[in-house]
Amino acid sequence: MRAVLYRELLVFVRYPANAVGGIVVAVFFFGVLFYGGRMVAGRALTDSIEGIVVGYFLWTLSVGAYSAIANDIGSEVQWGTLERHVMTPFGFAPVALLKGVAKLVRTFLTSAVILAVMLLVTGTRLHVNVPTVVVVAALSVASVLGCGLAAGGVTVLYKRIGNWLNLLQFGFIVLISAPVFELGWTRVLPLAHGSALLQRAMVDGVHLLAFPAADLALLVGVAVAYLGLGYLVFRYATRRARRLGVLGDY
Amino acid sequence: MPASRRVIYPYTQQEGTMTTRHREDARGRGGSSSPHAEHDDVAPAVAVDGLYKRFGSGPDAVTAVDGVSFAVEQGSVVGLLGPNGAGKTTLIKSIIGTVLPDAGAVRIMGVDVREAPREAYAHVDAMLEGARNDYWRLTVRENLRYFATVGGVDPDSVATRHDRLLDRLDLAAKADEPVRNLSRGMKQKVSLASVLAGGADVVFLDEPTLGLDVASARTFRAEIRRLAAETGLTVVLSSHDMEVVEAVCDRVIVVADGRIVADDTVDALLRADEHTLRLTSPAFDADVVTSLRERFTVTDVERLDRGARIEVTADTDGLYALMDALRRRDVPLTEVRSVDPGLDDVLLDLTGDDPGRGTGE
Repeated sequence: MRAVLYRELLVFVRYPANAVGGIVVAVFFFGVLFYGGRMVAGRALTDSIEGIVVGYFLWTLSVGAYSAIANDIGSEVQWGTLERHVMTPFGFAPVALLKGVAKLVRTFLTSAVILAVMLLVTGTRLHVNVPTVVVVAALSVASVLGCGLAAGGVTVLYKRIGNWLNLLQFGFIVLISAPVFELGWTRVLPLAHGSALLQRAMVDGVHLLAFPAADLALLVGVAVAYLGLGYLVFRYATRRARRLGVLGDY
Repeated sequence: MPASRRVIYPYTQQEGTMTTRHREDARGRGGSSSPHAEHDDVAPAVAVDGLYKRFGSGPDAVTAVDGVSFAVEQGSVVGLLGPNGAGKTTLIKSIIGTVLPDAGAVRIMGVDVREAPREAYAHVDAMLEGARNDYWRLTVRENLRYFATVGGVDPDSVATRHDRLLDRLDLAAKADEPVRNLSRGMKQKVSLASVLAGGADVVFLDEPTLGLDVASARTFRAEIRRLAAETGLTVVLSSHDMEVVEAVCDRVIVVADGRIVADDTVDALLRADEHTLRLTSPAFDADVVTSLRERFTVTDVERLDRGARIEVTADTDGLYALMDALRRRDVPLTEVRSVDPGLDDVLLDLTGDDPGRGTGE
């Protein structure tokens, strides 16, 4: 575990250009959204800016975690390192999961910077109780991590479909803004319930322990379910790739 | 090749895959007819029994590995040869688990990979695609440490070994350089180093010298022999570089169309006790040639304007007798050449000529 996390840290520290580039692009798109939206919608947008900032923050987290894990698995196939991991005593699935955790930590750092810039640009004030935000956001994004693992597994099987799978990132916008109060069943979708709790935490200042136990249980349940499902899909896909003899193909 | 490094054969080839000569050789070495007859208590490093792998279905199906059985003694170096598409890579991948075979059993250091994959694969590492296999954004040393760790070894406990290996492979000066900055040949050496440094008991090397310069290939050969002799490392290598195979392998397994067609020592495959001479003389007339044919194995006769050029195959005693016979008849020799077949000739002979045929790689 330490080796995998240490490797991710080394790559992050040694090659910061990717992270910096991601931050610049995310801030740029937010600028377009904010200033463009203000020109079009005027006060209507500025009245709901807190919700937009929180949603955008969660979206950058989700996209960062999802694309990092899904693309990374594709890269491991190309590098020939995935095959090599398969024959280790640990196999690749636990390594992929740990890499996902490392990517999540990395994405938190970059998204924190994006959040700070958004608050500065919009002049908005939010409640940033770090333990509450970290726990709620991490559990929300865990379900996306599961989707990333599943997408990575599909990439291992069908190879060059990474670009198509990246389109799923735009589906996260729908999930983040899902009407969980009107349509209760949407709470079991990835991100939806977590997004609602994060809005309440950051906009209304609700503390982690002030949330109803049922809400927290559902948050944990959705996270574990999608992460577990993604892990199983990944394991199934790699096993099928081994059966078809395409594990190392790229 | 030292006799003590000869391979014990706990498994025999399936009848249909052996040539008559190889069956005889196997009997001569004490080859057993039982598929599981162990010659001693030490488990083979690799034991493959009835391995079978087919890709696809219907008329387009390709049988890449067709009922292959063999065993590799611990501490030996075994070459896996065959034309492109013979099924070598699929065979290796089926053994190490990156391809799931349809049937058959594999045991690594006595551990069944299906029953206890983690325990079995803890003994194995492989270099499958040359310069790939490593993280190019990490340094050489970081790669060695990383893959030792995921292989279940404390990297600090093998740090000295890593240093020695880097030194021997001329990588010490580049130890703290990211792999991406190195040349292709150097990257290949890093792959090799990280596989050899992981502490595995058995390593599989697929075309390990592809892309290496002459000096590096020579270093590789020496290092493989040293590791096998000093540490008991077992090596299974697939290569089209016959010089490497002859230099490092105790034994060679030849594969064609997914089946083993020969399994023997390099010396035996080369028929080291047999020599072929090409002799040219103006005195080789029909009478002389007929008399030579009666006593020796004359494999080829080419008529010339004056005399002929013949090829004779014989063992050492036969060659002495041939020279005596020629001297008795006052036959002047204008040209004498040794035309012993190389391993590549033997391979072509065993696999049926065209190196490019086959579909099951």
